[in-house]
Amino acid sequence: MAKIPTDEVAGGREIDKEESVALLEGHKVSKSFGGVQALSQVDFAVEKGTIVGLIGPNGAGKTTLFNAVAGALKPTSGRVVFDEADITGFPANAVCRLGIARTFQVTRPFAAMTCIENVMVAVINRHPEKPRPLIESSAREKLSLVGLAEMGGVEARHLNVIQKKRLELARALATEPKLLMLDEVLGGLNTQEIYQAVAFIRRLRDELGLTVLWIEHVMGAIMPAAERLIVLDQGQVLMVGTPNEVVRDARVIQAYLGE
Amino acid sequence: MAGKKQALFSAAILAGMCVLPLELGIYPQHVLIVSLFYAMMASSWNLLAGFTGQVSFGHAAMAGIGAYTSGILAVKAGLNPWVGVCIGTAFAALLGFGLGALCLKMGGIYLSLTTLAFSQILHIIIVNEYNVTRGTMGLQVPGLMEEYSKISYYYIMLAAAVLILAILYWMIHSNLGLNFRAVQNDEVAAKSVGVKVLRVRVLAFTVTSAMAGFAGGLYGHYLLLITPEIPSLDLQFKVLAMTVIGGMGSFFGPIIGAFALNILEEYIRIYGEYHVLVFGMVALVVARFAPNGLIGLWRKFRPMKSREAVK
Repeated sequence: MAKIPTDEVAGGREIDKEESVALLEGHKVSKSFGGVQALSQVDFAVEKGTIVGLIGPNGAGKTTLFNAVAGALKPTSGRVVFDEADITGFPANAVCRLGIARTFQVTRPFAAMTCIENVMVAVINRHPEKPRPLIESSAREKLSLVGLAEMGGVEARHLNVIQKKRLELARALATEPKLLMLDEVLGGLNTQEIYQAVAFIRRLRDELGLTVLWIEHVMGAIMPAAERLIVLDQGQVLMVGTPNEVVRDARVIQAYLGE
Repeated sequence: MAGKKQALFSAAILAGMCVLPLELGIYPQHVLIVSLFYAMMASSWNLLAGFTGQVSFGHAAMAGIGAYTSGILAVKAGLNPWVGVCIGTAFAALLGFGLGALCLKMGGIYLSLTTLAFSQILHIIIVNEYNVTRGTMGLQVPGLMEEYSKISYYYIMLAAAVLILAILYWMIHSNLGLNFRAVQNDEVAAKSVGVKVLRVRVLAFTVTSAMAGFAGGLYGHYLLLITPEIPSLDLQFKVLAMTVIGGMGSFFGPIIGAFALNILEEYIRIYGEYHVLVFGMVALVVARFAPNGLIGLWRKFRPMKSREAVK
Protein backbone atom coordinates (compact mmCIF):
# COMPACT_ATOMS: atom_id res chain seq x y z
CA MET A 1 0.00 0.00 0.00
CA ALA A 2 2.81 2.37 0.90
CA LYS A 3 4.42 2.02 -2.51
CA ILE A 4 1.57 3.70 -4.35
CA PRO A 5 2.69 7.17 -5.40
CA THR A 6 -0.37 8.84 -4.02
CA ASP A 7 1.20 12.23 -3.54
CA GLU A 8 2.51 12.57 -7.04
CA VAL A 9 -0.71 11.73 -8.81
CA ALA A 10 -3.14 13.43 -6.53
CA GLY A 11 -0.87 16.43 -6.17
CA GLY A 12 -0.89 16.98 -9.91
CA ARG A 13 -4.21 18.70 -9.70
CA GLU A 14 -4.48 20.85 -6.64
CA ILE A 15 -7.96 22.08 -5.93
CA ASP A 16 -8.26 25.69 -5.09
CA LYS A 17 -10.64 25.75 -2.14
CA GLU A 18 -11.87 29.27 -2.90
CA GLU A 19 -12.74 28.69 -6.53
CA SER A 20 -14.05 25.17 -6.38
CA VAL A 21 -17.78 24.83 -6.99
CA ALA A 22 -19.73 21.80 -5.89
CA LEU A 23 -21.38 20.08 -8.85
CA LEU A 24 -23.14 17.60 -6.63
CA GLU A 25 -24.15 18.08 -3.03
CA GLY A 26 -26.01 15.97 -0.53
CA HIS A 27 -27.63 17.51 2.50
CA LYS A 28 -28.53 15.16 5.32
CA VAL A 29 -29.45 12.38 2.90
CA SER A 30 -31.09 9.47 4.70
CA LYS A 31 -32.49 6.21 3.45
CA SER A 32 -34.07 3.44 5.45
CA PHE A 33 -35.39 0.10 4.31
CA GLY A 34 -37.99 -0.92 6.84
CA GLY A 35 -36.08 -0.86 10.11
CA VAL A 36 -32.63 -0.76 8.53
CA GLN A 37 -31.02 2.66 8.37
CA ALA A 38 -28.85 2.34 5.25
CA LEU A 39 -27.92 6.01 5.16
CA SER A 40 -28.30 8.50 7.95
CA GLN A 41 -27.82 12.22 7.54
CA VAL A 42 -25.10 11.97 4.90
CA ASP A 43 -23.57 15.32 3.91
CA PHE A 44 -21.20 15.34 0.99
CA ALA A 45 -20.02 17.47 -1.91
CA VAL A 46 -18.32 16.69 -5.20
CA GLU A 47 -16.44 19.61 -6.73
CA LYS A 48 -16.53 20.28 -10.43
CA GLY A 49 -13.72 18.60 -12.36
CA THR A 50 -12.53 16.35 -9.56
CA ILE A 51 -12.41 12.62 -9.14
CA VAL A 52 -13.92 11.75 -5.80
CA GLY A 53 -13.70 8.27 -4.42
CA LEU A 54 -16.47 6.81 -2.33
CA ILE A 55 -15.09 4.08 -0.12
CA GLY A 56 -16.05 2.14 2.93
CA PRO A 57 -16.40 -1.40 4.18
CA ASN A 58 -19.08 -3.75 2.91
CA GLY A 59 -22.58 -2.58 3.80
CA ALA A 60 -21.45 0.98 4.46
CA GLY A 61 -24.14 2.33 2.13
CA LYS A 62 -22.02 3.27 -0.89
CA THR A 63 -24.30 1.84 -3.53
CA THR A 64 -27.39 3.05 -1.65
CA LEU A 65 -25.99 6.58 -1.77
CA PHE A 66 -25.34 6.12 -5.49
CA ASN A 67 -28.86 4.97 -6.11
CA ALA A 68 -30.27 7.84 -4.08
CA VAL A 69 -28.37 10.32 -6.27
CA ALA A 70 -29.07 8.59 -9.59
CA GLY A 71 -32.80 8.25 -8.97
CA ALA A 72 -32.92 4.48 -8.64
CA LEU A 73 -34.02 5.03 -5.03
CA LYS A 74 -35.87 7.87 -3.35
CA PRO A 75 -34.13 9.18 -0.25
CA THR A 76 -36.28 8.95 2.88
CA SER A 77 -35.24 12.46 3.78
CA GLY A 78 -32.62 15.04 2.91
CA ARG A 79 -31.79 16.86 -0.29
CA VAL A 80 -29.65 16.11 -3.35
CA VAL A 81 -28.51 19.15 -5.31
CA PHE A 82 -26.95 18.84 -8.74
CA ASP A 83 -25.71 21.76 -10.76
CA GLU A 84 -27.58 24.13 -8.43
CA ALA A 85 -30.89 22.34 -8.97
CA ASP A 86 -32.69 20.24 -6.39
CA ILE A 87 -33.00 16.76 -7.89
CA THR A 88 -34.15 14.91 -4.77
CA GLY A 89 -36.39 12.01 -5.74
CA PHE A 90 -36.19 12.66 -9.48
CA PRO A 91 -36.67 9.51 -11.59
CA ALA A 92 -33.51 8.04 -13.09
CA ASN A 93 -34.33 9.15 -16.63
CA ALA A 94 -34.75 12.77 -15.54
CA VAL A 95 -31.50 12.64 -13.56
CA CYS A 96 -29.76 11.30 -16.66
CA ARG A 97 -31.12 14.10 -18.80
CA LEU A 98 -29.73 16.65 -16.36
CA GLY A 99 -26.28 15.19 -16.82
CA ILE A 100 -25.60 12.33 -14.43
CA ALA A 101 -24.54 9.00 -15.91
CA ARG A 102 -23.77 5.83 -14.03
CA THR A 103 -22.50 2.30 -14.37
CA PHE A 104 -23.72 -0.63 -12.32
CA GLN A 105 -21.81 -2.77 -9.85
CA VAL A 106 -23.31 -5.86 -11.48
CA THR A 107 -23.36 -4.87 -15.13
CA ARG A 108 -26.73 -4.34 -16.81
CA PRO A 109 -26.22 -4.27 -20.56
CA PHE A 110 -29.18 -4.63 -22.93
CA ALA A 111 -28.27 -8.28 -23.38
CA ALA A 112 -30.18 -9.12 -26.55
CA MET A 113 -29.10 -5.97 -28.34
CA THR A 114 -25.83 -5.44 -30.18
CA CYS A 115 -23.12 -3.28 -28.61
CA ILE A 116 -23.72 -0.48 -31.06
CA GLU A 117 -27.46 -0.56 -30.30
CA ASN A 118 -26.71 -0.47 -26.58
CA VAL A 119 -24.88 2.80 -27.03
CA MET A 120 -27.36 4.15 -29.57
CA VAL A 121 -30.14 3.98 -26.96
CA ALA A 122 -28.15 6.45 -24.88
CA VAL A 123 -27.46 8.72 -27.85
CA ILE A 124 -31.07 8.94 -29.05
CA ASN A 125 -32.32 9.92 -25.64
CA ARG A 126 -29.80 12.74 -25.48
CA HIS A 127 -30.37 13.84 -29.08
CA PRO A 128 -33.78 12.59 -30.26
CA GLU A 129 -33.64 14.85 -33.31
CA LYS A 130 -30.35 13.49 -34.67
CA PRO A 131 -30.59 11.60 -37.98
CA ARG A 132 -29.81 7.88 -37.82
CA PRO A 133 -26.36 7.94 -39.51
CA LEU A 134 -25.14 10.56 -37.03
CA ILE A 135 -26.50 8.55 -34.11
CA GLU A 136 -24.66 5.49 -35.35
CA SER A 137 -21.37 7.28 -35.90
CA SER A 138 -21.46 8.92 -32.50
CA ALA A 139 -22.24 5.54 -30.90
CA ARG A 140 -19.38 3.97 -32.82
CA GLU A 141 -17.07 6.72 -31.62
CA LYS A 142 -17.94 5.96 -27.98
CA LEU A 143 -17.38 2.25 -28.55
CA SER A 144 -13.91 2.79 -29.96
CA LEU A 145 -13.15 5.15 -27.09
CA VAL A 146 -13.53 2.24 -24.67
CA GLY A 147 -11.79 -0.20 -27.01
CA LEU A 148 -14.84 -2.05 -28.28
CA ALA A 149 -14.69 -0.78 -31.87
CA GLU A 150 -14.61 -4.30 -33.26
CA MET A 151 -17.59 -5.49 -31.21
CA GLY A 152 -20.28 -3.18 -32.61
CA GLY A 153 -22.32 -5.95 -34.22
CA VAL A 154 -22.01 -8.43 -31.36
CA GLU A 155 -24.90 -8.96 -28.97
CA ALA A 156 -24.01 -7.71 -25.51
CA ARG A 157 -24.74 -11.07 -23.87
CA HIS A 158 -21.73 -12.56 -25.67
CA LEU A 159 -19.27 -10.16 -24.01
CA ASN A 160 -17.14 -11.11 -21.04
CA VAL A 161 -17.45 -9.24 -17.75
CA ILE A 162 -14.72 -6.72 -18.49
CA GLN A 163 -16.10 -5.99 -21.94
CA LYS A 164 -19.53 -5.52 -20.39
CA LYS A 165 -18.07 -2.95 -18.00
CA ARG A 166 -16.50 -1.13 -20.91
CA LEU A 167 -19.79 -1.23 -22.79
CA GLU A 168 -21.55 0.30 -19.80
CA LEU A 169 -18.94 3.01 -19.68
CA ALA A 170 -19.44 3.75 -23.39
CA ARG A 171 -23.19 3.83 -22.84
CA ALA A 172 -22.82 6.15 -19.87
CA LEU A 173 -20.51 8.49 -21.81
CA ALA A 174 -22.96 8.56 -24.71
CA THR A 175 -25.49 10.30 -22.49
CA GLU A 176 -22.99 13.19 -22.44
CA PRO A 177 -22.86 13.54 -18.68
CA LYS A 178 -21.35 16.25 -16.53
CA LEU A 179 -21.02 13.81 -13.68
CA LEU A 180 -19.95 10.23 -14.22
CA MET A 181 -20.70 7.78 -11.41
CA LEU A 182 -18.72 4.58 -11.48
CA ASP A 183 -19.68 1.65 -9.29
CA GLU A 184 -16.74 -0.71 -8.82
CA VAL A 185 -15.55 -0.72 -12.40
CA LEU A 186 -12.21 -2.25 -11.52
CA GLY A 187 -13.47 -5.55 -10.14
CA GLY A 188 -11.91 -8.50 -11.93
CA LEU A 189 -8.97 -6.59 -13.38
CA ASN A 190 -5.32 -7.46 -12.69
CA THR A 191 -2.81 -4.89 -11.42
CA GLN A 192 -1.60 -3.94 -14.87
CA GLU A 193 -5.16 -3.47 -16.15
CA ILE A 194 -6.12 -1.48 -13.07
CA TYR A 195 -3.39 1.06 -13.77
CA GLN A 196 -4.47 1.32 -17.40
CA ALA A 197 -8.08 1.78 -16.37
CA VAL A 198 -7.23 4.44 -13.81
CA ALA A 199 -5.15 6.34 -16.36
CA PHE A 200 -8.03 6.04 -18.79
CA ILE A 201 -10.61 7.46 -16.37
CA ARG A 202 -8.28 10.34 -15.51
CA ARG A 203 -7.79 11.06 -19.20
CA LEU A 204 -11.56 11.03 -19.73
CA ARG A 205 -11.95 13.50 -16.91
CA ASP A 206 -9.34 15.83 -18.41
CA GLU A 207 -10.45 15.58 -22.03
CA LEU A 208 -14.20 15.61 -21.55
CA GLY A 209 -14.23 17.93 -18.56
CA LEU A 210 -16.04 15.35 -16.47
CA THR A 211 -16.54 15.14 -12.77
CA VAL A 212 -16.27 11.61 -11.41
CA LEU A 213 -17.80 10.04 -8.34
CA TRP A 214 -16.28 6.63 -8.01
CA ILE A 215 -17.14 3.73 -5.71
CA GLU A 216 -14.23 1.38 -5.49
CA HIS A 217 -13.39 -1.62 -3.44
CA VAL A 218 -9.83 -1.88 -4.73
CA MET A 219 -8.15 0.58 -2.38
CA GLY A 220 -4.88 0.46 -4.23
CA ALA A 221 -6.61 1.70 -7.35
CA ILE A 222 -8.76 4.46 -5.95
CA MET A 223 -5.87 5.91 -3.89
CA PRO A 224 -3.88 7.19 -6.87
CA ALA A 225 -6.97 7.90 -8.95
CA ALA A 226 -8.96 10.16 -6.66
CA GLU A 227 -8.20 13.62 -5.44
CA ARG A 228 -10.54 13.27 -2.54
CA LEU A 229 -12.12 10.39 -0.73
CA ILE A 230 -15.41 10.19 1.09
CA VAL A 231 -15.37 7.37 3.60
CA LEU A 232 -18.71 5.86 4.54
CA ASP A 233 -19.22 3.54 7.47
CA GLN A 234 -22.54 2.16 8.68
CA GLY A 235 -24.49 4.67 6.66
CA GLN A 236 -22.61 7.69 7.94
CA VAL A 237 -19.75 9.82 6.66
CA LEU A 238 -16.71 8.74 8.64
CA MET A 239 -14.36 11.28 7.12
CA VAL A 240 -13.53 13.26 4.00
CA GLY A 241 -10.01 14.00 2.90
CA THR A 242 -7.19 13.43 0.48
CA PRO A 243 -6.14 9.80 -0.01
CA ASN A 244 -3.10 10.41 2.15
CA GLU A 245 -5.10 11.80 5.02
CA VAL A 246 -7.57 8.98 4.77
CA VAL A 247 -5.12 6.09 4.93
CA ARG A 248 -3.48 7.55 8.00
CA ASP A 249 -6.70 8.17 9.83
CA ALA A 250 -7.17 5.92 12.82
CA ARG A 251 -10.96 5.80 12.44
CA VAL A 252 -10.68 4.58 8.85
CA ILE A 253 -8.19 1.89 9.75
CA GLN A 254 -10.45 0.80 12.54
CA ALA A 255 -13.51 0.70 10.28
CA TYR A 256 -11.70 -1.45 7.76
CA LEU A 257 -9.71 -3.68 10.05
CA GLY A 258 -11.76 -3.69 13.22
CA GLU A 259 -10.42 -3.14 16.71
CA MET B 1 -27.94 -3.32 -49.45
CA ALA B 2 -29.77 -5.71 -47.19
CA GLY B 3 -32.52 -3.12 -46.74
CA LYS B 4 -32.92 -2.74 -50.49
CA LYS B 5 -33.22 -6.49 -50.94
CA GLN B 6 -35.80 -6.64 -48.18
CA ALA B 7 -37.82 -3.85 -49.77
CA LEU B 8 -37.76 -5.59 -53.16
CA PHE B 9 -38.78 -8.86 -51.53
CA SER B 10 -41.66 -7.18 -49.70
CA ALA B 11 -42.82 -5.43 -52.87
CA ALA B 12 -42.82 -8.74 -54.73
CA ILE B 13 -44.85 -10.42 -51.97
CA LEU B 14 -47.30 -7.51 -51.94
CA ALA B 15 -47.70 -7.64 -55.73
CA GLY B 16 -48.33 -11.37 -55.43
CA MET B 17 -50.89 -10.77 -52.70
CA CYS B 18 -52.69 -8.30 -54.98
CA VAL B 19 -52.94 -10.71 -57.92
CA LEU B 20 -53.25 -14.03 -56.11
CA PRO B 21 -56.94 -14.01 -55.07
CA LEU B 22 -58.12 -13.26 -58.61
CA GLU B 23 -57.28 -16.84 -59.52
CA LEU B 24 -58.75 -18.33 -56.35
CA GLY B 25 -62.23 -19.37 -55.37
CA ILE B 26 -64.38 -17.92 -52.60
CA TYR B 27 -63.10 -20.33 -49.96
CA PRO B 28 -59.36 -19.67 -50.35
CA GLN B 29 -60.16 -15.96 -50.48
CA HIS B 30 -61.92 -16.29 -47.15
CA VAL B 31 -58.91 -18.08 -45.65
CA LEU B 32 -56.63 -15.29 -46.85
CA ILE B 33 -58.87 -12.59 -45.41
CA VAL B 34 -58.86 -14.30 -42.01
CA SER B 35 -55.08 -14.74 -42.30
CA LEU B 36 -54.70 -11.01 -42.91
CA PHE B 37 -56.74 -10.32 -39.76
CA TYR B 38 -54.44 -12.62 -37.80
CA ALA B 39 -51.34 -11.06 -39.36
CA MET B 40 -52.46 -7.68 -37.99
CA MET B 41 -53.25 -9.18 -34.58
CA ALA B 42 -50.02 -11.16 -34.24
CA SER B 43 -47.80 -8.35 -35.54
CA SER B 44 -49.24 -5.76 -33.19
CA TRP B 45 -49.15 -8.16 -30.22
CA ASN B 46 -45.54 -8.83 -31.14
CA LEU B 47 -44.72 -5.15 -30.71
CA LEU B 48 -46.16 -5.25 -27.20
CA ALA B 49 -44.80 -8.63 -26.07
CA GLY B 50 -41.78 -9.15 -28.30
CA PHE B 51 -40.43 -5.61 -28.20
CA THR B 52 -41.42 -4.14 -24.84
CA GLY B 53 -41.71 -7.45 -22.98
CA GLN B 54 -45.28 -6.87 -21.81
CA VAL B 55 -46.96 -10.24 -22.37
CA SER B 56 -50.57 -9.08 -22.45
CA PHE B 57 -53.47 -11.50 -22.66
CA GLY B 58 -55.87 -8.67 -23.40
CA HIS B 59 -55.09 -8.26 -27.08
CA ALA B 60 -58.01 -10.32 -28.38
CA ALA B 61 -60.21 -8.39 -25.94
CA MET B 62 -59.13 -5.18 -27.66
CA ALA B 63 -60.13 -6.65 -31.04
CA GLY B 64 -63.48 -7.47 -29.40
CA ILE B 65 -63.78 -3.86 -28.19
CA GLY B 66 -63.23 -2.62 -31.74
CA ALA B 67 -65.69 -5.10 -33.23
CA TYR B 68 -68.46 -4.64 -30.66
CA THR B 69 -68.14 -0.85 -30.48
CA SER B 70 -68.47 -0.51 -34.21
CA GLY B 71 -71.13 -3.21 -34.45
CA ILE B 72 -73.32 -1.82 -31.66
CA LEU B 73 -73.07 1.71 -33.05
CA ALA B 74 -74.10 0.46 -36.48
CA VAL B 75 -77.01 -1.59 -35.19
CA LYS B 76 -78.35 0.71 -32.45
CA ALA B 77 -77.51 4.12 -33.91
CA GLY B 78 -77.35 3.31 -37.61
CA LEU B 79 -73.84 4.67 -37.82
CA ASN B 80 -71.78 4.13 -40.96
CA PRO B 81 -69.52 1.10 -40.31
CA TRP B 82 -66.39 2.98 -41.43
CA VAL B 83 -67.03 5.70 -38.85
CA GLY B 84 -67.80 2.95 -36.36
CA VAL B 85 -64.45 1.25 -37.01
CA CYS B 86 -62.70 4.55 -36.35
CA ILE B 87 -64.59 5.06 -33.09
CA GLY B 88 -63.90 1.43 -32.12
CA THR B 89 -60.20 1.96 -32.78
CA ALA B 90 -60.19 5.09 -30.63
CA PHE B 91 -62.07 3.33 -27.84
CA ALA B 92 -59.62 0.41 -27.90
CA ALA B 93 -56.75 2.92 -27.76
CA LEU B 94 -58.34 4.57 -24.73
CA LEU B 95 -58.81 1.24 -22.94
CA GLY B 96 -55.28 0.23 -23.93
CA PHE B 97 -54.01 3.43 -22.36
CA GLY B 98 -55.92 2.65 -19.16
CA LEU B 99 -54.81 -0.97 -19.07
CA GLY B 100 -51.20 0.03 -19.77
CA ALA B 101 -51.28 2.61 -16.97
CA LEU B 102 -52.80 0.05 -14.62
CA CYS B 103 -49.99 -2.41 -15.39
CA LEU B 104 -47.19 0.14 -15.17
CA LYS B 105 -45.71 -1.09 -11.93
CA MET B 106 -46.17 -4.72 -12.89
CA GLY B 107 -43.96 -7.02 -14.83
CA GLY B 108 -43.96 -10.60 -15.97
CA ILE B 109 -46.69 -12.85 -14.66
CA TYR B 110 -48.53 -10.10 -12.77
CA LEU B 111 -49.06 -8.08 -15.90
CA SER B 112 -50.19 -11.18 -17.76
CA LEU B 113 -52.68 -12.08 -15.02
CA THR B 114 -54.10 -8.55 -14.87
CA THR B 115 -54.65 -8.43 -18.62
CA LEU B 116 -56.12 -11.94 -18.45
CA ALA B 117 -58.59 -10.72 -15.84
CA PHE B 118 -59.47 -7.74 -18.02
CA SER B 119 -60.09 -10.06 -20.94
CA GLN B 120 -62.30 -12.37 -18.87
CA ILE B 121 -64.32 -9.51 -17.38
CA LEU B 122 -65.00 -8.18 -20.86
CA HIS B 123 -65.98 -11.64 -22.07
CA ILE B 124 -68.43 -12.09 -19.21
CA ILE B 125 -70.00 -8.68 -19.82
CA ILE B 126 -70.45 -9.39 -23.53
CA VAL B 127 -72.00 -12.80 -22.93
CA ASN B 128 -74.40 -11.50 -20.28
CA GLU B 129 -75.48 -8.13 -21.65
CA TYR B 130 -77.81 -9.90 -24.04
CA ASN B 131 -79.91 -6.83 -24.86
CA VAL B 132 -76.96 -4.92 -26.19
CA THR B 133 -74.62 -7.62 -27.50
CA ARG B 134 -76.97 -10.55 -28.22
CA GLY B 135 -74.71 -12.66 -26.01
CA THR B 136 -73.46 -15.92 -27.45
CA MET B 137 -76.06 -15.68 -30.23
CA GLY B 138 -73.91 -13.02 -31.81
CA LEU B 139 -74.67 -9.56 -33.09
CA GLN B 140 -75.70 -9.26 -36.71
CA VAL B 141 -74.04 -6.20 -38.20
CA PRO B 142 -74.09 -4.54 -41.61
CA GLY B 143 -71.14 -4.95 -43.98
CA LEU B 144 -68.68 -2.32 -45.03
CA MET B 145 -70.27 -2.10 -48.48
CA GLU B 146 -73.82 -2.10 -49.81
CA GLU B 147 -73.21 -5.22 -51.84
CA TYR B 148 -71.29 -8.11 -50.41
CA SER B 149 -68.17 -8.93 -52.39
CA LYS B 150 -65.46 -11.24 -51.13
CA ILE B 151 -62.77 -9.81 -53.34
CA SER B 152 -63.49 -6.23 -52.17
CA TYR B 153 -63.21 -7.37 -48.57
CA TYR B 154 -59.94 -9.03 -49.44
CA TYR B 155 -58.49 -5.80 -50.79
CA ILE B 156 -59.81 -3.79 -47.84
CA MET B 157 -58.16 -6.20 -45.39
CA LEU B 158 -54.98 -6.23 -47.46
CA ALA B 159 -54.83 -2.43 -47.45
CA ALA B 160 -55.52 -2.36 -43.71
CA ALA B 161 -52.80 -4.94 -43.05
CA VAL B 162 -50.30 -3.06 -45.19
CA LEU B 163 -51.11 0.13 -43.28
CA ILE B 164 -50.71 -1.53 -39.88
CA LEU B 165 -47.54 -3.35 -40.88
CA ALA B 166 -46.04 -0.18 -42.36
CA ILE B 167 -46.67 1.67 -39.09
CA LEU B 168 -45.18 -1.23 -37.11
CA TYR B 169 -42.16 -1.44 -39.40
CA TRP B 170 -41.55 2.28 -39.03
CA MET B 171 -41.90 2.11 -35.23
CA ILE B 172 -39.55 -0.85 -34.89
CA HIS B 173 -36.87 0.79 -36.98
CA SER B 174 -37.17 4.25 -35.46
CA ASN B 175 -35.73 5.52 -32.20
CA LEU B 176 -38.90 4.31 -30.55
CA GLY B 177 -38.05 0.72 -31.50
CA LEU B 178 -34.64 1.03 -29.83
CA ASN B 179 -36.29 2.41 -26.70
CA PHE B 180 -38.84 -0.42 -26.74
CA ARG B 181 -36.12 -3.04 -26.88
CA ALA B 182 -34.06 -1.30 -24.22
CA VAL B 183 -37.09 -1.40 -21.90
CA GLN B 184 -37.62 -5.07 -22.65
CA ASN B 185 -33.98 -5.91 -21.99
CA ASP B 186 -33.49 -4.01 -18.74
CA GLU B 187 -35.81 -1.34 -17.38
CA VAL B 188 -33.39 -0.09 -14.75
CA ALA B 189 -30.57 0.31 -17.24
CA ALA B 190 -32.93 1.89 -19.77
CA LYS B 191 -33.98 4.47 -17.21
CA SER B 192 -30.37 5.19 -16.33
CA VAL B 193 -29.59 6.24 -19.91
CA GLY B 194 -32.60 8.51 -20.14
CA VAL B 195 -35.38 6.31 -21.55
CA LYS B 196 -38.78 7.45 -20.31
CA VAL B 197 -39.76 3.91 -19.41
CA LEU B 198 -43.28 4.66 -18.15
CA ARG B 199 -44.16 6.62 -21.26
CA VAL B 200 -42.71 3.95 -23.55
CA ARG B 201 -44.70 1.18 -21.88
CA VAL B 202 -48.04 3.01 -21.93
CA LEU B 203 -47.45 4.13 -25.51
CA ALA B 204 -46.87 0.55 -26.61
CA PHE B 205 -50.11 -0.55 -24.93
CA THR B 206 -52.10 2.30 -26.48
CA VAL B 207 -50.82 1.89 -30.02
CA THR B 208 -51.08 -1.89 -30.15
CA SER B 209 -54.57 -1.83 -28.60
CA ALA B 210 -55.68 0.66 -31.24
CA MET B 211 -54.34 -1.68 -33.91
CA ALA B 212 -56.18 -4.66 -32.45
CA GLY B 213 -59.36 -2.57 -32.22
CA PHE B 214 -58.98 -1.53 -35.84
CA ALA B 215 -58.38 -5.11 -37.04
CA GLY B 216 -61.26 -6.39 -34.92
CA GLY B 217 -63.65 -3.72 -36.21
CA LEU B 218 -62.97 -4.57 -39.83
CA TYR B 219 -63.10 -8.30 -39.11
CA GLY B 220 -66.51 -7.96 -37.46
CA HIS B 221 -67.97 -6.13 -40.44
CA TYR B 222 -66.52 -8.80 -42.69
CA LEU B 223 -68.00 -11.71 -40.73
CA LEU B 224 -71.34 -9.82 -40.45
CA LEU B 225 -71.88 -11.65 -37.18
CA ILE B 226 -69.91 -10.58 -34.10
CA THR B 227 -69.73 -13.26 -31.42
CA PRO B 228 -67.82 -13.51 -28.13
CA GLU B 229 -65.39 -15.66 -30.11
CA ILE B 230 -63.47 -12.53 -31.05
CA PRO B 231 -62.63 -11.31 -27.53
CA SER B 232 -61.97 -14.89 -26.38
CA LEU B 233 -58.92 -16.53 -24.88
CA ASP B 234 -58.99 -19.05 -27.73
CA LEU B 235 -58.29 -16.28 -30.17
CA GLN B 236 -55.76 -14.71 -27.81
CA PHE B 237 -53.76 -17.93 -27.54
CA LYS B 238 -53.94 -18.44 -31.27
CA VAL B 239 -52.39 -15.00 -31.75
CA LEU B 240 -49.77 -15.89 -29.17
CA ALA B 241 -48.99 -19.21 -30.88
CA MET B 242 -48.70 -17.52 -34.27
CA THR B 243 -46.28 -14.95 -32.91
CA VAL B 244 -44.13 -17.46 -31.05
CA ILE B 245 -44.10 -20.01 -33.87
CA GLY B 246 -43.39 -17.33 -36.47
CA GLY B 247 -40.70 -15.68 -34.38
CA MET B 248 -41.30 -13.26 -31.53
CA GLY B 249 -39.32 -10.05 -31.62
CA SER B 250 -38.85 -10.04 -35.39
CA PHE B 251 -40.88 -8.07 -37.90
CA PHE B 252 -41.68 -10.81 -40.41
CA GLY B 253 -42.04 -13.68 -37.93
CA PRO B 254 -45.62 -13.02 -36.76
CA ILE B 255 -46.81 -12.43 -40.34
CA ILE B 256 -45.40 -15.78 -41.44
CA GLY B 257 -46.77 -17.42 -38.31
CA ALA B 258 -50.25 -15.98 -38.90
CA PHE B 259 -50.49 -17.29 -42.46
CA ALA B 260 -48.83 -20.62 -41.70
CA LEU B 261 -51.03 -21.45 -38.71
CA ASN B 262 -54.26 -20.16 -40.15
CA ILE B 263 -53.80 -22.13 -43.36
CA LEU B 264 -52.64 -25.18 -41.43
CA GLU B 265 -55.80 -24.92 -39.35
CA GLU B 266 -57.91 -25.25 -42.48
CA TYR B 267 -56.08 -28.45 -43.46
CA ILE B 268 -56.45 -30.09 -40.07
CA ARG B 269 -60.01 -28.95 -39.48
CA ILE B 270 -61.22 -32.43 -40.56
CA TYR B 271 -59.81 -33.86 -37.33
CA GLY B 272 -62.41 -31.90 -35.41
CA GLU B 273 -61.45 -31.33 -31.77
CA TYR B 274 -58.13 -33.01 -32.39
CA HIS B 275 -56.93 -30.13 -34.52
CA VAL B 276 -56.08 -28.29 -31.32
CA LEU B 277 -53.78 -31.19 -30.48
CA VAL B 278 -51.92 -30.74 -33.78
CA PHE B 279 -51.63 -27.04 -32.98
CA GLY B 280 -50.10 -27.84 -29.61
CA MET B 281 -47.68 -30.32 -31.14
CA VAL B 282 -46.49 -27.75 -33.66
CA ALA B 283 -45.98 -25.20 -30.90
CA LEU B 284 -44.08 -27.79 -28.85
CA VAL B 285 -41.80 -28.84 -31.68
CA VAL B 286 -41.05 -25.23 -32.58
CA ALA B 287 -40.39 -24.28 -28.96
CA ARG B 288 -38.00 -27.21 -28.59
CA PHE B 289 -36.12 -27.11 -31.89
CA ALA B 290 -36.51 -23.53 -33.08
CA PRO B 291 -36.86 -21.25 -30.05
CA ASN B 292 -36.62 -18.20 -32.29
CA GLY B 293 -39.49 -19.43 -34.44
CA LEU B 294 -39.65 -20.07 -38.16
CA ILE B 295 -37.84 -16.82 -38.86
CA GLY B 296 -35.02 -17.91 -36.54
CA LEU B 297 -34.81 -21.22 -38.38
CA TRP B 298 -34.49 -19.43 -41.69
CA ARG B 299 -31.79 -17.13 -40.34
CA LYS B 300 -29.87 -20.12 -39.08
CA PHE B 301 -29.95 -22.12 -42.28
CA ARG B 302 -29.95 -19.51 -45.00
CA PRO B 303 -26.99 -19.83 -47.38
CA MET B 304 -23.63 -18.80 -45.94
CA LYS B 305 -23.12 -16.56 -48.94
CA SER B 306 -25.77 -14.05 -47.92
CA ARG B 307 -24.56 -14.04 -44.34
CA GLU B 308 -21.07 -13.15 -45.43
CA ALA B 309 -22.46 -10.47 -47.69
CA VAL B 310 -24.06 -8.86 -44.65
CA LYS B 311 -20.71 -8.79 -42.91
